[in-house]
Amino acid sequence: MNDASAHSDASARSDASARSDAATRPNAATRRGRRALGGGLPAWLRPLDAEQPGLGRTRLIETTLLLLAGLFLAIATVDDVVLQTHVNNRLVADLRTWRSYTGHDYHNVAPERDIFGHTTRDFVCGNTAPGPPKERVQICLVMTGPIIHGRRAVHAGWYLPPKTEDLLRYRYACFGSAVQQGLCRE
Amino acid sequence: MSAVAASEYGGSLHRTTRAARWAPALAGVCGLLIVAATAEIVLDGALGHSSLIPRSPDIAGWLTGIGERLGYRVFLIALIVFSFAYVGILALAWTRDAISKRWALVLVGALHALIFAGPILLSTDVFSYIAYARMGVEHGINPYLHGPSSITGDPVYHYVGHDWKHVATAYGPLYTLLSYPLAPLGVTGALWGMKLEALLASAGTLALTWRCTRARGVDPVPALLAVGANPLYVVYGLGGAHNDLIMLLLMMAAVSLTLAGRSSIGHDGLAAATVVVGALVKATVAALLPFMILSRRRLAPVVGALAALVLGALIGYAAFGIHGIDVVAALNRDAAFVSTDSFPTEIAHLLGKPGVFPVDHDLLKAALVAIVLHLMWRTWRGYDWVAASGWTLLAIAVTSTWLLAWYILWPLPLAVVTRDRRLLVATLAVQALFVVHQMAPLLAPVS
Repeated sequence: MNDASAHSDASARSDASARSDAATRPNAATRRGRRALGGGLPAWLRPLDAEQPGLGRTRLIETTLLLLAGLFLAIATVDDVVLQTHVNNRLVADLRTWRSYTGHDYHNVAPERDIFGHTTRDFVCGNTAPGPPKERVQICLVMTGPIIHGRRAVHAGWYLPPKTEDLLRYRYACFGSAVQQGLCRE
Repeated sequence: MSAVAASEYGGSLHRTTRAARWAPALAGVCGLLIVAATAEIVLDGALGHSSLIPRSPDIAGWLTGIGERLGYRVFLIALIVFSFAYVGILALAWTRDAISKRWALVLVGALHALIFAGPILLSTDVFSYIAYARMGVEHGINPYLHGPSSITGDPVYHYVGHDWKHVATAYGPLYTLLSYPLAPLGVTGALWGMKLEALLASAGTLALTWRCTRARGVDPVPALLAVGANPLYVVYGLGGAHNDLIMLLLMMAAVSLTLAGRSSIGHDGLAAATVVVGALVKATVAALLPFMILSRRRLAPVVGALAALVLGALIGYAAFGIHGIDVVAALNRDAAFVSTDSFPTEIAHLLGKPGVFPVDHDLLKAALVAIVLHLMWRTWRGYDWVAASGWTLLAIAVTSTWLLAWYILWPLPLAVVTRDRRLLVATLAVQALFVVHQMAPLLAPVS
């Protein structure tokens, strides 16, 4: 048993030694491979198995820049989510206000908002009579200010003919401060 | 060893043993949460009538009756649960070695089966693919010259996304030709064909990722989970049957060839040719070529790439004319698009601008060129070309003004293959930011 074990150990050592030799002494195939990998090229053109030394500083700078870029992207993402959340809150309040103001419980009401945070003045348009979106005379309301009890203040508004977009040239029967705000023609 | 040290060692060993006992159970819980979240999205989505589910032929009707209509709230909660469980399972796989190969395969297989059985999720792109195929095969119209609006009478037209009805295809000629055999199967048959293509491409990508990680001496089980159980990969990529999966398959085939045949000219040439074939499916993958060539520093990849390019261009030209091979025009057109989820748009909002302007496009392109040049210099100095390619794909996604969830999947298989862990962390961080950006409807639901 012991002999067998010793023989086995020796054999294993011999195998390991052979493998080690094979690893350190290039055989014909490896030499061919190295030639193929650019052995005939000048040293600076040959492929590298590992990075050249002296790139630790580069890596540090890269990692620092990556962290800063990541932080910047994270701030931009969170800011955008907050912005969008405020817009959504206004949207809900504006739809509720439009329904309460006009007495119509329509769902196809089109809000048009200043989604980029410059102002909180939003326009909400919807039909004055039942029908497909924009197929009837529409009433548009201008809403501003904070949300109070789930609604916002209506300061102005106008009407639009059927099948038209909310463009200055189509607006008529303006009310409130629409003309003073430059939202309607006189 | 002193008594105190022995006691500390014993305590530490006890904690390690206890953690080792809990780790597989915790991994099991994470796996179940991932499957449950996916099942919730699929079963609710099967009901249709949701803004998250594109209008589609009824292919998942047999799943209806179990779920409810998929709303933003349920979808986003499921996505959050999926994402946290994914992070948990990755942490356990990498730090505790708590997940067996069989268990990982079962989890990834279950997710693929669930998605395959369910409806198309979150994107109408697959209907554009079918429309382009039917334009060419059924109507004799060149999809590189006209959009689906030229086949308004075709049954697939109504399913194509509104923004894409007038847009000619931007995909490579090889992909368009690959989709042609599905056109005569009708919309439903073609849809199943596309789903099957996506499933097989995903399976192939995962198998090649496994092979590459082993060749690189990286543990393949966490790598498999990092890609195959990734929430964006499963829900958005596979759920939408996106052709990006075919591009990823060819990308990983190229990487696999370079790793398998390190000293073979034939392997290098074939690998470069495979990248070009991938670019003839979707051009983005061409980003790998300069790094592969710089790393190998031999003629074989250049010759292989040129041969594939000439052959591909000839086939593309014969099938579609000059427009079929004018990739630059298609890329320029797509580069001008702007999506609300893109990072440049978010940064513009942060800086008080309403959105990105033409000058911003130029600045972003300049930044991308600078990044690529730096990575090329690093590759020349011996940096892993696979990692450099991954960074480039990530940079393309981050600087693009038109960002979709499946674009952030591009660097993922490369990130798990390379030993530079920064790439994986960065890719997952960008994906996490994308998921966070979807959360506004959860914080302020719109009724």
